[in-house]
Formats: sequence, structure tokens, C-alpha cells
Amino acid sequence: MEHHDGIALEVDQLKKVFRDRGTREVRAVDGISFRVAPGEVVGLLGPNGAGKTTTIKCILGLIRPTSGRVAILGRDVASHYPGILSQVSAVLEGSRNLYWRMSVWENIEFFTGIHGLPRRQHRRYFEHLVERFGLADKRDVEVRKLSQGMKQKTAVVCALAKRTPLVFLDEPTLGLDVETSYELRETLKDLAEEENRTVVLSSHNMDVVQDVCKRVIIMTAGRVVADDSIEHLMGLFKTRAYRLVLRGPAPEGLEAGLAAHFPGLEVQSTPHMTQVRLRLPEPNDIYMLMDLLRDAGATIEEISQEEPDLEKIFLEIVRKERENQCNSRIP
Amino acid sequence: MQLAHTLTAVARRNITMMKRYLFNTVSALISVYMVFCLAFFGMKAFAAASASRALDGTFEGTIVGFFVWTLAIFGYSGLSWELINEAQTGTLEQLYLSPAGFKWVCTFNLMVDFLVNVAAAVVFLFAMMATTGRWLNLDVASIAPLLIVTVLGAYGAGFALGGLALVFKRIQAFFQIVQFAFIGCLVIPWRIPWARFLPLSMGNGLIYRVMAEGKRLWELPAADVLTALAVGAAYLAVGLAVFSTCERAAKARGLLGHY
Ligand SMILES: Nc1ncnc2c1ncn2[C@@H]1O[C@H](COP(=O)(O)OP(=O)(O)OP(=O)(O)O)[C@@H](O)[C@H]1O
Ligand SMILES: [Mg+2]
Repeated sequence: MEHHDGIALEVDQLKKVFRDRGTREVRAVDGISFRVAPGEVVGLLGPNGAGKTTTIKCILGLIRPTSGRVAILGRDVASHYPGILSQVSAVLEGSRNLYWRMSVWENIEFFTGIHGLPRRQHRRYFEHLVERFGLADKRDVEVRKLSQGMKQKTAVVCALAKRTPLVFLDEPTLGLDVETSYELRETLKDLAEEENRTVVLSSHNMDVVQDVCKRVIIMTAGRVVADDSIEHLMGLFKTRAYRLVLRGPAPEGLEAGLAAHFPGLEVQSTPHMTQVRLRLPEPNDIYMLMDLLRDAGATIEEISQEEPDLEKIFLEIVRKERENQCNSRIP
Repeated sequence: MQLAHTLTAVARRNITMMKRYLFNTVSALISVYMVFCLAFFGMKAFAAASASRALDGTFEGTIVGFFVWTLAIFGYSGLSWELINEAQTGTLEQLYLSPAGFKWVCTFNLMVDFLVNVAAAVVFLFAMMATTGRWLNLDVASIAPLLIVTVLGAYGAGFALGGLALVFKRIQAFFQIVQFAFIGCLVIPWRIPWARFLPLSMGNGLIYRVMAEGKRLWELPAADVLTALAVGAAYLAVGLAVFSTCERAAKARGLLGHY
């Protein structure tokens, strides 16, 4: 792989407004900017309709952006089109990406061929990929005869086989069972590391993103609302989420007292014990929590920091963003 | 060099697909042949009944017409169906990701298909000549250039319809109307002044003169040949213009991957 220091992908004030017959406007992508360093594996997250697919297609020139600039490996995409496409490959969401009437191998040869790769020279690598994705015995089977998971893996193989420094994967694990999805993400992770490729991966499957990506960009309503390393995000949320077990049923008025101070409060009470889950708005609020518990006469049996996962973090960020938007609309 | 790999890939794909869809290819040829037989034996019965020689030369005209029509139809439908199908099967966007540019993928596809279509049309031509017992003048050096000039118009229509399919998606009905319009273009005598500006017409007339009347290319009136070329090129240019306008609209409205 060629070595590029600097920036693999730069998106600058990218904007796409769809106009539906003049009247309605959809701001699918609303002036987003981000940069991806070479070798980075970035997750693109967001609820349905957040603008992930539109962003990816704008970067690839499949959708013409309303405004903004995209550069790949330091070269402006618009002025180097379509030659610049030799640096990127993609599995696109929702479409088949493959010829169902051709075999796995024929598809690989075709898509790398129109990418400008001589097929003989890369045969070994194709074989290696097919092997890695567990498709070796399906090599010569027509794609339409494969299961959904195998089709999806074939699409990923066809993209990776182009050996581009930059790879876009839009929902590569859609419709895969737990095992296949696990296998796919392990393989992706290994390959990204081994070959030092830059990967932008969009998925609703948080386990996949958490496992494969080091950094996430979270979008809602066409905007970037978080862009951070997963490790850092985990750290941020980790310090604030607690789980406590109290002896006996919940003391009178405890729930109401806590609810006034701590968001995300959940209290589950049985005659023998009470479980409390909450988040601290500020790190030092732990003292206030202790005071409230002592005043209520509670006995703490257990206290633990909740291990956040990406899914919870994602939901929390998206929820906050929605609240902010609602608030900003009320004058 | 990269373009060469793209060409190879497209050629290999088309041949693979043709093998997979062999039944379709063969049955398309057979049905055109059957339509021809109907037309031929119908005319023959009519000529016998009217006991006139009015239809003399018409058989030759019919053979030439069918020959040009199959090539035009295969070229036109191959191109526009390709675009419609690619959009429907979700491979179109992948083709648009070729660093050579989609236009080269498309051009190579068209060139490969053209060669295959010519082979099929020649087989069909011999079948027609054998059926009717009328052996036409097969002066390849004269026919080949005229054929290319003639089908330019069909490819123009193919590009235009393919482009419209990118934006409007469901245009199958329209697609078939154009197919029949081609028959009209081939049947209208090209000596009618305005008919020479229709796609296929003029070229078809010139091919008839080579195949049925035994003329060589350079014996044909240069003005006619140039007109046929200009008309074909004009239709192709208009078709390409429609295609790029539609492509731009499809990219602006995010329609390339939709169907
Ligand atoms: N071709 C189009 N024409 C009009 N509006 C569109 C078009 N494509 C997308 N949109 C709109 O743009 C917004 C963003 O869509 P996009 O497909 O980018 O979202 P996404 O984040 O990929 O969602 P998902 O998670 O469901 O895949 C949505 O409101 C969608 O309705
Ligand atoms: Mg999407």
C-alpha cells in the first residue's frame, strides 16, 4: 500500500439539500466537516435518516453535493474525478453490489477489472481474501445461490479486492446472523490492521462498530453531534453511571429525592433489596448522592460503576441532541 | 493500460452473462426469425394471389430491413436495458465507481455487444436468405461502414432512453414504443424528402442498394452517404446529450441507486 502522511479523507462543510418538486426541502447533510487520518477505522453512526448514506455517496461522487468540498489523500475529489476513484472502494447500502448471475470469483474479477487491476497479477490476493472470508468452497457458485450472509461477504470481498487505501462500508452487516456478523467484523478488524487501510464504516450494529472502530462520528439530522475516540467516549460516560444495591425495600421518599438531582434514575425494589441506577451530572455529585442516601437511612450493600457500551452512549447522545433541538425551537 | 483491464473485464462479463442467459439470446433470435417467416410467406401468398410482379425486389428489401432492424434493436435495447437493469439490480453505482469513468464502461460494453450482435445478425441473415432462396450481395467492405453509420441512430436512442431510465425509472412501455418506431423508420421509403432525417432510414436504403442492387460503397452518391453519416451522428449526439443531462439530474437528486 502506498504511504500517505497527512489526511486520508477530508470533508469540509459538506451539504446536501434534496428538493422534492420545489416545495419540500430535506437537509440530508447540513454542512458537516471531519477528517480521517490514514489507517484510521472510523464508525459513522446515526439514527435512520441521519444522513450517513448521503454523506458517503457525496464523498464518492454518486450524489452531487449542494456545497462543500471533499478531498481524498489530499486531492480534491471534484477536480480529480473520476480518476481519484482509483483510491476508493465501497459497499453501498441496500443495493446488491454484485451480479447475481455470476460466481463469486467472476464478480471479483469483474469489479477489480473495471477498477483497472490486472486480474492475473492479483490472483493470489483474491484467493487470500476469499479464504479469509470463508468463501473458498463457494468460489465458483453463482451469487444468487448463496445465503444472504455470503452475498454480503462477497460484496465486502469485491470492495476489498480493489486494494484501495480508502474503503467505505455502508451497513456491511445488515441482515447477518450473530455468528456471521461476528466473523465478518473479526476479519475486517484483522484486515484493517494488517493492511493499514483507512475504513469508514456505517452500521446500526453497535457491537460491530465498538469492536472494529477506534473512533466514531455520530450524526443526527444531517449534523455531526459527536466525533471522538470510542475510548474517550467510554471514559466520559463511565465516570457518571452508577449502580447501587441497598438493603431492604426502598426507603420512603428516596426515589423522589433522587429523581430531583439525577437523570436516568431507575429504582427497582423488592422486600429484600433495592437496586438503584443513575447518572451523576457532575463528578462531585457523588457526595450529594451519599448524603441523600444517609439522610434516607439507606444501607448500601454494593456500589459499582456501570460499564457503558457504545449503544447506551449513542442513545444518550442522540437523546440529548433531540432535547436540545426541541428546546432551541421554543423561544 | 488501466483502460485495457476495464475493457477485458467488461468483455468477460458480457460473455459470461450471455452464456448464463443463452436461452434468452437464442429465443430472441428465433422469435425474430419467426416474425420474418410470417412476413415472407404472407407476402409470397399475396404475390401469388395477385399474380403480379409488383412485389419484386420487396423480398430483398424485407431481408435487408430485418437485418438492419435486428442490429438496431439489439444495439438499442442492449444499451438501454443494460442501464435499466443495472439500476434495478443495484450494480449501477458500482459501475459509476470505476476510475475509468462510467462512460468508458458503457462504451466498452457497447462495443463488445456490437460485435456479438453483428455475429448474431449475420447468422440470422443467412437463415433468411436460405429460407427465401434469395442470395444477396455480401460485400463486407461496403456493408460494414454503412451498417455502423446506420446503427448510430439506434445507439443515440439507446443512450437517450437509458438516461431517461436513470431519472424516471419505469419507462418500459416507452421503451417498446421506440422499438416499433424503428420499424416505421425502416419501412418508410427514404426517397421521401423528410424521411432521410429519420434514424436508420437513409442508411437502410443505402445498405439495400449494396446488398440487393450490387453497388459498391464508392458507387453510391457521396451526398447520400454523408447525409446518412450526419443524421446518424446527430442522433447519437442528441442521445448522448440527453443521457448526460439525465445523469446530472440523477446525481443531483440522488437517484442513481434508486429504482
Ligand atoms: N434521493 C433522495 N431524495 C430525497 N430525499 C432523500 C434522498 N435520499 C435520502 N433522502 C433523505 O435524506 C435524509 C438522509 O438520508 P440517508 O439515507 O442519508 O440517511 P441514513 O443516515 O443513511 O439512514 P439509514 O440509517 O436509514 O440508512 C433522509 O431524510 C432521507 O429521506
Ligand atoms: Mg443509510
